[in-house]
Amino acid sequence: MGKTITEKILARAAGRKKVSPGEYIEVSSRCPTPMGNFGNLRGGLEFCVEWGVGVFNPQLIRIVDGHLGATASHNAARSRRITREWAKAVGIPEENIYILGRGGIENMFSAERAWALPGEVYLQAVNGHSSGNGALGAFATTLSYGRGSYFMTGKTWIRAPRSVKIVVNGKLPKGTCARDVFECILGQIGPTGAGGAMIEWTGPVIDALSMDERFSLCSLAIFTGAWTAIINPDGKTLDYVRARTKEPFEPQVSDPDAQYAKVYEFDISDLEPQVVSPPKRHVVRSVKDLEGTPINRGFIGSDAGGWLEHLRMAAQILKGRKIHPRVVLNITPGTTNILRQALDEGLFKVFIEAECVVPVPNEGMEWGANTPLSDDEVCIASGQTNYPGRMGSNQAQIYLGNPMTVAASCLEGKIADPRKYL
Amino acid sequence: MKPIRGRAWIFRGVLDVDWEICPFEISHELQAKGLYTEEELGKYCMTKVDPDFPKKVQSGDFIIAEYMGFGHDHDHACLSILGARVSAVICETAAPYFLRNSIERGLPIVELPGILKAVKQGDELEVNLDRGHLTNLSSAVELKFEPTPPFILERLDAGGMIPFLKNEVEAGRIPRRLERR
Repeated sequence: MGKTITEKILARAAGRKKVSPGEYIEVSSRCPTPMGNFGNLRGGLEFCVEWGVGVFNPQLIRIVDGHLGATASHNAARSRRITREWAKAVGIPEENIYILGRGGIENMFSAERAWALPGEVYLQAVNGHSSGNGALGAFATTLSYGRGSYFMTGKTWIRAPRSVKIVVNGKLPKGTCARDVFECILGQIGPTGAGGAMIEWTGPVIDALSMDERFSLCSLAIFTGAWTAIINPDGKTLDYVRARTKEPFEPQVSDPDAQYAKVYEFDISDLEPQVVSPPKRHVVRSVKDLEGTPINRGFIGSDAGGWLEHLRMAAQILKGRKIHPRVVLNITPGTTNILRQALDEGLFKVFIEAECVVPVPNEGMEWGANTPLSDDEVCIASGQTNYPGRMGSNQAQIYLGNPMTVAASCLEGKIADPRKYL
Repeated sequence: MKPIRGRAWIFRGVLDVDWEICPFEISHELQAKGLYTEEELGKYCMTKVDPDFPKKVQSGDFIIAEYMGFGHDHDHACLSILGARVSAVICETAAPYFLRNSIERGLPIVELPGILKAVKQGDELEVNLDRGHLTNLSSAVELKFEPTPPFILERLDAGGMIPFLKNEVEAGRIPRRLERR
């Protein structure tokens, strides 16, 4: 019987011949583990220092400043100091610390450097959207509270997930992107449609996506109840990785006769831009059903919608136009590298002329750390999620859409179909 | 590990770590006040679904749930359940981040498809993690599940990841690397 890419990667990482879904295993990784600067040392980090244990390999830990940006919110100054002191105490080398102005959202920063190698287990300290790195053909997940244990021992335990295959057929219509594919499928399979599973994305639509769009698609996995997501590496993946790292790697792919807990198949040829309406993450509609809903805030950014390609999508709509006078639109690139490329392409000239706010690369508004929402404000965002209080006040409302829908809506001050601007 | 005994509290539907189990904003507020403890978080456990749950639940009771731990990898939800003195969660499906964080916090989680059909509100249950066995003492129904392996039971027995690691360090199985420099 054939094996899935996930079973193959986990068996290698656990040093076993075979790993079955549901099995508890111990794994190690040779990929770097990025850690954001959350400024709390929960999860056993404090004891790395207190017990004199340190970390298993300081070279493999990277500190990436990317969740706060230039903000006074969320205890930013203190968080940075605490993180910096911890890194020094356990001996993280200076070149492994990417401070403000060099960093970005850690799962995007890592993807740009191909830290998650095809065929390997890739672990992040925090952030449930590390699944984006699964687009590189790695088993990508977050240690979360268990990070201290991994840092002390170089090993972590996981319960091998079942695999759910999602085949996407057809061709993306105008005005839509990978995110719309995700939302449309989420609307159909629901918040437990891939409960507890690894999603394996496949099919012609996935093959045609750029790496930016694959990262975005995989980053959204948890909203289907899945743990993480993965894409079998193809030529595009391998070229991307080889251009970014000299590390050797052994890509794995699923066998044609691999067994899945479930296989879904969708054709998205008639897909329309999708909008998630508050407060539930899985209530998804066509933009046409929500057109005209007044908004006064917009956000284009995050690991779901802050890649270079998403900034290009926004600029396509905003070029030569000004947003509605009542609207504040925050456009935040995910990393300094994306910012630099967007500057080279003139995208920021478009955004500034359209009267948008352009913070330094970070997660920022996604979790209310920059330009937070106040009571009764209504936002449309290309971010990850929309539960009450996610971007500031719990009285504010958050709609989610693709970067083109967000841009078009901000031009009009109400939810708008982007296709008329394309 | 000794068998766990307690009553069943049933919760259906999708239970989000940041909303139904314990709203994320509560965790933010308690952190700001310096009150981020199991006990304080426990006062909000499941109150979005059953406002009196923390008052009604007794030490050692079980949460029996449908889809448990949806959403982000935020571990305040696990602390909140421990603060409500719940002994274990038995559910149809457990979100993997929730499962991992809970076990590391010392809260046993069992995924057991069919549990909602086998248990009624208030039933007295006995759960044996190492044997993978659940007995509904109120109805005499017995269910089997995948036994929790010894290396995970060790972590749970110790009371979670931190006490487990402390034992490991004290026994010399994790080196004190910083002292050598």
